[in-house]
Amino acid sequence: MATESAVMPMQERCPVDMLTLACVCVLLAVGVLLVASASSEISAREYGNTLYLVARHIVFVGLSVSLGFLTLMIPLDLWQRSGWLLVLMSYLVLVAVLVPGIGKEVNGSMRWIPLGFFSLQGSEFVKLMMIMFVASYLTVPEHRERALGFAKALAAIVGVVALLLLQPDLGSAVVVFSAYFGVMFLSGVPLRFLLPVIVASVASLAVLILIAPYRLERILAFFDPWKHQYEGGYQLTQALIAFGRGDWFGMGVGNSIQKLFFLPEAHTDFVYSILVEELGLLSAIIVLLVFMVLVLRALWIAYIAFQRSMTFHGLVACGIALLIGIQALINMGVNVGALPTKGLTLPLLSFGGNSLLATMMMIAVLLRVEYELRDGASSIAQVAKRRRRTENAS
Amino acid sequence: MIRLAIVAVCFVALSGAIVGRMVYVNINDRDFLQEQGDLRTIRLERINAHRGMIRDRLGKPLAISSPVVSLWANPNELLSSSSDLNQLATMLKVDPEEFADRLENSRSRSFVYLRRHMPPPEAEKILSLSLPGLYSEKEYHRFYPAGEVAAHLVGVTNIDDRGQEGVELAFDQWLTGVPGKKKVLKNLYGDIVADIMPVADAVPGRDIELAMDLRLQYLAYRELKAAIQRHEAQSGSIIVLDVASGSVLAMANQPSYNPNNRQRLDIATVRNRAVTDAFEPGSTLKPFTVAVALESGSHHPLSRIDTSPGFVRVDDKTIPDPRDMGELNLGDILAHSSQVGISKLALTLDPFAVRDLLADVGIGQIPGSGFPGESQGYLPNHRRWTDIERATLAYGYGVTTTPLQLANAYLAIARGGVRKQITLLAEEQTSTIRVMSEQTASQLTRMLAKVVSDGTGGQAHIQGYTVAGKTGTVRKLGESGYEDTRHLAFFAGFAPVQDPELVAVVMINDPAGDANGGGSVAAPVFGSVMSGAMRILKVAPDQQVAMSKGGGDAHG
Repeated sequence: MATESAVMPMQERCPVDMLTLACVCVLLAVGVLLVASASSEISAREYGNTLYLVARHIVFVGLSVSLGFLTLMIPLDLWQRSGWLLVLMSYLVLVAVLVPGIGKEVNGSMRWIPLGFFSLQGSEFVKLMMIMFVASYLTVPEHRERALGFAKALAAIVGVVALLLLQPDLGSAVVVFSAYFGVMFLSGVPLRFLLPVIVASVASLAVLILIAPYRLERILAFFDPWKHQYEGGYQLTQALIAFGRGDWFGMGVGNSIQKLFFLPEAHTDFVYSILVEELGLLSAIIVLLVFMVLVLRALWIAYIAFQRSMTFHGLVACGIALLIGIQALINMGVNVGALPTKGLTLPLLSFGGNSLLATMMMIAVLLRVEYELRDGASSIAQVAKRRRRTENAS
Repeated sequence: MIRLAIVAVCFVALSGAIVGRMVYVNINDRDFLQEQGDLRTIRLERINAHRGMIRDRLGKPLAISSPVVSLWANPNELLSSSSDLNQLATMLKVDPEEFADRLENSRSRSFVYLRRHMPPPEAEKILSLSLPGLYSEKEYHRFYPAGEVAAHLVGVTNIDDRGQEGVELAFDQWLTGVPGKKKVLKNLYGDIVADIMPVADAVPGRDIELAMDLRLQYLAYRELKAAIQRHEAQSGSIIVLDVASGSVLAMANQPSYNPNNRQRLDIATVRNRAVTDAFEPGSTLKPFTVAVALESGSHHPLSRIDTSPGFVRVDDKTIPDPRDMGELNLGDILAHSSQVGISKLALTLDPFAVRDLLADVGIGQIPGSGFPGESQGYLPNHRRWTDIERATLAYGYGVTTTPLQLANAYLAIARGGVRKQITLLAEEQTSTIRVMSEQTASQLTRMLAKVVSDGTGGQAHIQGYTVAGKTGTVRKLGESGYEDTRHLAFFAGFAPVQDPELVAVVMINDPAGDANGGGSVAAPVFGSVMSGAMRILKVAPDQQVAMSKGGGDAHG
């Protein structure tokens, strides 16, 4: 046995990408710390136990890591072959949340399916499923180079976006649309197809904001939050105060004042502000850099995949990089007042079971992509593929 | 691959933009943001100050503040927290349904007292439920150990610790401390999260030492109350003054009230009648007309006035005595309280001189004790005096005075003709002014002693001490003039005669039954209070043998 392990190649002993894993571990750890601090007051007030929400958060970290392990076992090939099935599932989930009796309304939005212990937020999982579909569909050259093929993909995406807007969840709609558009762009869809899409989507975004008074209010508040602080600008001003208090080095863990109910959603959408308030701007920049390392690493994995002509692997890595990266950047941008307020979690850091589970699945898929790019692994995968093909032929 | 590079560069650029924005916010807006943060979180919190104590001259407490806890709620928060309101209601000892209704009705407000002034341990128990929207405030509750006995003089505070009556009101500023302030950090719901620093400590209020001697106060109150009950009288007042200092040793009224439990308070019982209610003093004013006669030089104590045939016509009015008393000297006029005698005497005197002396001893003047709501009374000030006006003023009609003013006037006689400003406080030095000669005062004192030893004031006599005083029986003014059956019974006097220690005035309003005069209703109260007071104050007796001639029923 001892001799056998000695001759095993390096990557056999280290089956996942260490850099990605390190980034994820750092983000999860910082997340637990911040959720513990930011949720303590609201936990005490709502549940009579300061640790209630962070305990839930830790349980979900555990669950999401387990789910990640399971996902890691799934060969990319399986995802690739399930493309249209995933679309079907996505639509089913997104329609289900809108059906009264199945979906649950919270704060005027139909986003959740109550499952007792926790509520399933369909859109979080749809993000991943649709990435798999888009990647596998666009892997076929005719699909991305012909107008009809591209139109089919676009239709599937627009359908998802439309369902998200019905909830309504403009934030998620913007994130998934940008990410899928990015994947189309990266897959090599001609610019003559893409440019009209950009024009149309910007125009529809403008319409969507103008027709919803609360969105318009948020936009106005975004331009002058202090003037609108008792209307749309309230959260933003409170988030900015956290930035002011935090300064470069922060007030120390647990010393946030904004979490004393001043900043709504301190442990979810605005956890980044609490990060700045407690740990300081430098720590916040480091966290942002960790996100960038994660995103760039995913793009690098995609680059390797493209080089080896493993288009599906590459597009999946791209999609995951885009989903996590765009959502993180929008969330941080919202926190610092660079973007209008949107209810989006910060992946891996914010409290929220759905976001954690879905993001860890994406990370697992990314690790699986990297794993299958390795010489040994990919050859095994190709052997399996070849075998299947011959079986099909016979 | 170019497209991949473009995406990577976009990410890096956007990250850079966000970092740039964060650094900009930090450098440019930091001070503004910190200030905005403080504006929303740092509050000045009031620290209630301890109210000063009121004590009697021996240091016995009359009003004490003890720390209590008031519970208040933010109804909206409390209702929306889905907490167990029934339990809270039970602990507050209120009806759960009513309680819920009350909260529901005040949903739009953010502050509602649930219960004020709870004993701290009891409040602690409720607060330990730690219901959202339930808050507490530290306050002080005022307790009056002497209860109804000293209620009128001491007065009361309201639930907000502000003086409303009596000394509590008169010296409110002195007793009230200065509330302190502290900087605290509050969360969005107004809970104090941390004390940052005290801005100003609460300055406790100062104590007040009253001249009142609680032992005398109890005695006076008890005797007054007993007399009121015995005679089924409407009301009554008693005042005991210290001759040397002119301070009020006791001041009690009936009816009284319990300052510690004011839930079923009859407002009529709150008045300090001894100070606020002016009456016609009747015969108790006669000695001052005699004093003017003595001062005038045209009369001396043995000057005789013929009161036959028992009445006199002045203008078109007939002034009667109960019987024909023949020739009386000035002392006899007082001793037997002859209306005819004093009227005839008054008509020989300068009316302005009589009026001026009355004003000098304090009749119709604000007494200036500092007690809130002091009545001035009424002293006529005619430019021309008719005979009937001169006569009625002499026997105390057509003029009104409070028991306090009357006591002040008798104090002047007791002090040998020197009026002294009355005070409620133990250590206040008050001004004096001579209002009649020492000789006049001592002659008057001897006459007043005879009122007790030989005249209408016999029941004011006390064992072992000589007493000087004057009765008064005043017919009450009804709807159709003076009534025959309703009276005010007065006795005003001092003891011991040679070296007076105490002045006292007793007034009993509308005694029922046959005994309705100053001599039979008020004088006995005076006697028993003075006798007890002499013992309590250990005044040396000035008389060996008890000699009591039962005085006749007072008149006029």
